[in-house]
Amino acid sequence: MTKDRATILETQALSARYGRIEALHAVDLDVGAGELVAVLGPNGAGKSTLLRSIMGLTDSSGTVRFEGEPLPRRDPVAVARRGVVLVPEGRGIFGPMTVAENLQLGAYLIGGRGPAFDQRLERVLTLFPRLKERLDQAAGSMSGGEQQMLAVGRALMAEPRLLMLDEPSLGLAPQVTAEILQTLASLNRGGLSVVLVEQKAPLALQIAARAYVVAGGTITARLDPREITSHDQLARYYFT
Amino acid sequence: MPDPAYLVQILVNGLGVGCIYGLIGIGFCVIYNASGIVNFAQGAFVMLGGMAAHVLYTWGLPLPVAGVLAVLMVAALGVVIERLVVRPLWDRNATLFVIILATLAVQIVIERATLILVGDQPKSLPVFTDLPPIRIAGVAVGYQFLWIVGTSLVLIVLLVLFFQRTLVGRAMRACSINREAAALQGIPVSRMLALAFALSAGLGAIAGVLLTPTQFTAFNVGTPFAISGFIAAIVGGFGRPFGAFLGGIALGLAQAIAVVAFGSGLKNVAALSVLLVFLFFRPSGILGTAK
Repeated sequence: MTKDRATILETQALSARYGRIEALHAVDLDVGAGELVAVLGPNGAGKSTLLRSIMGLTDSSGTVRFEGEPLPRRDPVAVARRGVVLVPEGRGIFGPMTVAENLQLGAYLIGGRGPAFDQRLERVLTLFPRLKERLDQAAGSMSGGEQQMLAVGRALMAEPRLLMLDEPSLGLAPQVTAEILQTLASLNRGGLSVVLVEQKAPLALQIAARAYVVAGGTITARLDPREITSHDQLARYYFT
Repeated sequence: MPDPAYLVQILVNGLGVGCIYGLIGIGFCVIYNASGIVNFAQGAFVMLGGMAAHVLYTWGLPLPVAGVLAVLMVAALGVVIERLVVRPLWDRNATLFVIILATLAVQIVIERATLILVGDQPKSLPVFTDLPPIRIAGVAVGYQFLWIVGTSLVLIVLLVLFFQRTLVGRAMRACSINREAAALQGIPVSRMLALAFALSAGLGAIAGVLLTPTQFTAFNVGTPFAISGFIAAIVGGFGRPFGAFLGGIALGLAQAIAVVAFGSGLKNVAALSVLLVFLFFRPSGILGTAK
C-alpha cells in the first residue's frame, strides 16, 4: 500500500527508551500532507511513545523529518513552533483555568490576541459550539467529552500543520467519541494532516486513509482501511 | 490585662512583619508552582535586597533609585542562579531533592560572600518618609508600616492581575498545572522558570528593602526570614500565592500576640506552633495546596 501525496512527516529508525527499557524500536512511518493516518495497536504497544518521540518528549534516536526538515529532539516547544501539535493522552487541559484561558494558551505562539487569534477562536467555537457556552467555566469541571473537545479546540488554536491525537476516545461515551472523530474527519477533509493513535481500531479505520499497527514497540503491519472488512481480519494483524 | 492600645499596637506591628513574611512566602510559591522546587535561597534575596540598597545608598544614590536598582539587581541574580545552578541540574534530570539542596547551598554561598564583601555589622536604610508616626487612639502607626502594608497590597493586586490577565502570567499558571502540556502548546517552560526566579527574587528583595529601615539587615538575616516565609507558604496552602500572603499575616500576628502573652523569647515558638497546628489539623493550609 502506498500513499499518493507529498510526505509531511517521516520517521526513520525511530527508537525510544525509558531507562533501560526500549519502548520503541526502529519505527519507519510516513504521513502524507492532508492525510489522516491511524496508528493502532493494543495497550502498551508503543503508540503513545511514538507520538511522544515525534514531539521530542522521550529519550529517542533515529530521524524525524517534518516538511523535509529534521525536527529538534528533546525540545517539544521547538516542535510545536514548527506546526506539530499533540493532544496528549488524558487531554492535558489546564483544569483549574477557564475554557477561554485554555484556548488562549493554545494560541500562545501568536501572542494569544489580535485578529488572527479572534479568527481562530471563532473557528474553534463554531466547530465546538458547546465550548462557547462554557468559556468562563473551569475546564476541569466539564464532562469528559467537553474536555476532549477543549483539548482538540486548544490544539487547533495553534493552527497546526500536523495534528496528532493520542487516544481521544479514552473514557468517552460512544456517541461523544463518534462526534469527535467526525470532527477530525471534517478537519482532515479541509486539508489538515492528522495522526490518530487509537485503541478502538474500527472507529479509527472509518476515517483513516491509512493505518499502521504497532505491537511490541515496532510496526507490525501497514493497512489500507478499505481492505479491512471484518473484526477477525483486523484481529489477525494485532496478533501476528 | 494589657492596655488595649498596647495590644493594638502590637497587632499593627505584627501585621507589618506579616506582610513581609507574606511577600517571602509568595516568592516560595511562585518558584514552586513553576518547577516544584522549594527555593531555600529565598531568604538570601531578602537580605540582598536590603544590603544592595544600603550599599547603593551609601554610594550616594537617592534612596528610591537605590531601592529600585537593588530590586532589579537581585531579580537579575535570581535568573543567574536559575541558569547556573538550577537549570543544569534540571536538564540532567536531577531529583527535586538535589535541586532543593543546591538552593540551600546557594543561600550559604550568598551569605558568606556578603560577609566577606560588606562585613558582619548590621546595615540600615533611612525610613522612606521621615515624619513622626500617626497617632490613632493611642496607637502609633509609623510611615514605614504604611509603606510596607501599602506596597504589599499593591504587589498583591499586581500579581493577581499578572497571573489572571496577562498571557505570560497565564502561561506560568499553565506550567504550574501541567508543564508537559504547556510545552506542547509552545509555551517556553524553561523561560517561565527563569521568570519565576526573577519574580521571586524581586519580591524577596522588595521585602528586604521595605524591612531594612526598621529591622536592619546583616549577612545572616536571610535564613530566619526564609524559614518564616516558608512557614507562611505552608500555612497559606503551599503553591497558593495569596494564601502565602494570608499565612504571612497570620504568622506575624501570632508572633505579635505571643510577644504580649509570653514575652519576646517565645516569638519563634509561636511561629512553629502555628505551623504545627496547621500541619496537624489542616495540612493543606488556609486555601488548600495548589497541587
